[in-house]
Amino acid sequence: MFTFGGYFDFVSTESRRVLSRLVHRVGFGPKPGQFQTMLAKGFSASVSDLVYSARPAYGDVKVVLGITDLGPQPAPNSEAVVQYADSKRGQLRAISLWWLDQMVGQDFPFHERMTWFWHGHWATSYAKVDEPVVMFDHVDRLRQHATADFGEMCEAMTIDAALIYWLDGQLNSAKSPNENLARELMELFTLGVNRYTEVDIKEASKALAGWQVVKSSGLVYRNVNRTFNGSTAILGRTDNFDAVSLARFLSQQPACQRFIPERLWFRFISSTTTPAVGSDIEIAFAQRQILPAIVAMVQSEAFADPQNDLVKSPLEWLVAVLRALRITPSTYAQPDSLLSLLTALGQRPLFPPNVGGWPGDEVWLSASAAQTQIQAAQTLCSRGDLTPVTSVPASARVDALADWLGVAGWCDRTRSVLNGAVSDPRRLVTLAICSPDYVVNQ
Amino acid sequence: MSSLTRRSFIKWAGAGAVAAQTVSFADIARAAERRALPQGTPVLVVVTLYGGNDGLNTVIPYTDSVYHSLRPQLAYREDQVLPIGENLGLNRSMSGLKTLWDNGQLAIVRGVGYPRPDRSHFSSMAIWQTASRTGVKSGWLGRWVESQPVDPFLAISLGSTLPPLLAGTKRSGTVLPLNGLRVPSGTLATDLARLSVEGSADSRLMATASRSVRDLFAVGNTVSPILKNPAPPAADLPTAIGGNAGGESNLAAQLDVVAKLIAAGAPTRVWSVSLGGFDTHANEQAVQSTLLGALSTSITKFMSQMRAVNQSSNVTMLIYSEFGRRVRANASQGTDHGTSGPVFLVGGGVAGGFHGEQPSLHQLKDDDMAVTIDFRSVYASVLEHVLLTPSDRVLDTAMPKLPLFVR
Repeated sequence: MFTFGGYFDFVSTESRRVLSRLVHRVGFGPKPGQFQTMLAKGFSASVSDLVYSARPAYGDVKVVLGITDLGPQPAPNSEAVVQYADSKRGQLRAISLWWLDQMVGQDFPFHERMTWFWHGHWATSYAKVDEPVVMFDHVDRLRQHATADFGEMCEAMTIDAALIYWLDGQLNSAKSPNENLARELMELFTLGVNRYTEVDIKEASKALAGWQVVKSSGLVYRNVNRTFNGSTAILGRTDNFDAVSLARFLSQQPACQRFIPERLWFRFISSTTTPAVGSDIEIAFAQRQILPAIVAMVQSEAFADPQNDLVKSPLEWLVAVLRALRITPSTYAQPDSLLSLLTALGQRPLFPPNVGGWPGDEVWLSASAAQTQIQAAQTLCSRGDLTPVTSVPASARVDALADWLGVAGWCDRTRSVLNGAVSDPRRLVTLAICSPDYVVNQ
Repeated sequence: MSSLTRRSFIKWAGAGAVAAQTVSFADIARAAERRALPQGTPVLVVVTLYGGNDGLNTVIPYTDSVYHSLRPQLAYREDQVLPIGENLGLNRSMSGLKTLWDNGQLAIVRGVGYPRPDRSHFSSMAIWQTASRTGVKSGWLGRWVESQPVDPFLAISLGSTLPPLLAGTKRSGTVLPLNGLRVPSGTLATDLARLSVEGSADSRLMATASRSVRDLFAVGNTVSPILKNPAPPAADLPTAIGGNAGGESNLAAQLDVVAKLIAAGAPTRVWSVSLGGFDTHANEQAVQSTLLGALSTSITKFMSQMRAVNQSSNVTMLIYSEFGRRVRANASQGTDHGTSGPVFLVGGGVAGGFHGEQPSLHQLKDDDMAVTIDFRSVYASVLEHVLLTPSDRVLDTAMPKLPLFVR
């Protein structure tokens, strides 16, 4: 059957699938028309457009948004504390919506997608940091390094104020070490669990000791009364390690070359399998450059393997829907409702649940989440721009919907339900974005 | 017990449009029968107090001179507490719990915590909820859920998000917003029901995605009519005159939902509710006594409702917080984060009275109380007696059990 506006007749299912994965996993889903362009251009050109897109010029975001050091908290029940709390809430809100705007607004949001990935990797929460400017700087640091040199990223993050505070680095002194940061640095950030010994952790926490944080500004400084003077033996090397040289050293470990591809695999390919030892992704990561590892990943057979479907996490789902419906978060009728929605779904940016980051796949698929997504979908579809389906004849809408939303294809069950809703665009789109075919990236 | 499931599934199927076109009623009825709780199955209600409740001003060593000298502005005198023996008294706002104590339905486990206490709310709550400090991400009751057959009703948390204690690796408890799951209606609902029919070609994730929507209909349609019913009466409570002017606390609202659903025969074995605000760094007395009063009133009412529907001997409530607070008051009539604290168990089947040793105030380490009972021992006893599950399977270690139950 000829379907106007759809590429089903011209493009193979395999091509649609891998392009759908590219645009949803390495980007945040297509803007209207983008998926058709990708179908027309093919995979290689689409990878280039997305992954080699220029890093946007962000400007002086802190000045524009008015993100400042709010100073120490005034006394309880004082007048000043009310003002202080208002400013804090306002700044947190501004940062959160600005970040959503970047994800939704950029044509090729690869840098934001990777910043989001690293936010879940170096998972640090505002819930403890409690200072907007410090969290902004933390995420901005992730953004600086998001697609570049992982060793440099490690050096920068090991002395990042939010991360130090989050993992009690400021309580760590050589005389009474706090192992929290050293443990997570090895287990969750660079090497992977059990690829070190407890002695390595004790020694590493000595090397990391002495970095303290001015809580309100995020200024980090080395308190020489708390640092360790002398050499430490870590992972077989004895040296005068300090925080920065330790971070670099860890990034150079063979375990790191294995670990980072595993984490990329978990978020972008499959949460149930792991990459083969010596995979192309590992090889591409030999120099600890992030971009080549991503390119190797999207070009791997596994990225195209039909078995490797992946659940869109709540943030990924919402951002993809907003992009499709041309809704800008900060100018939306009720911007705060978007943040509340993400809180209700358990994935508000800047609030990862723990240092392990957000879970993946099935955990997101609860009855409560389904209810929340269905309700949100109804509201968003009543406010968003549905032109991509309303502008085509009813008979062409189901295929146009797949192209608009960047879906590889509708399963028979979904297609039949959608076919019954073509005369009611709002219901049609609501059903499409709540369908298993969309919630799970095929 | 099966009346809830049967009645509501009849209602569901009868309501028609949604189910009739999609699932065979006979299949559902069979599933409901399989899921129904056998008569007398024990039920656990976990009450999490967020913020770190000050145990010393909850179960008060009012005769101890160290208690008075380290927190002179915060300490309660003998005439300000509800004495319960062994020179301890309950906070005077907890008259309801005092009555349960007198009736042998309140067990107080003293000095509960874990070695090398962590003073971060986040970390300590994570330790309590995962029952681990080695980076395990699943909650202790989430692991229990995963040890049981799949059933969306098995463990339910009231509120907006899933607490870590109910999170599993692959499966988790169900979150029930306070006002119930709002099931979509009209044509959209019919379509969604068709969209979520089990498909033989579905991948594992596709199957889970469609099951989540089916669960929404199953749980939502079952629960919503029940939530519209009046709560069970709390007939044996004297009518309060003048008190409780501030309306219901949120905890009371959560427990009211739990009471309605238990009364209706929900096949749920674990309920999770919570009350926040215990982080009393300043002006502690007023804030804490308000919260403890709300806690006591809600629990007393709930247990009374359970008696009215003959469930009080099946229900056990477990009440805990992530840590106690320091013995020494700070400069702003509050206390900072401390170590151990009391855990309460309430129910017809608990062995009322004291368990564990009261940590001595004469052997403080850096102004902190010792831990005399590992919280995992409390969990182990609850797992074995209430959830009828070998505790080492869930806790990944064999913990000594405590004689917390009479049966």
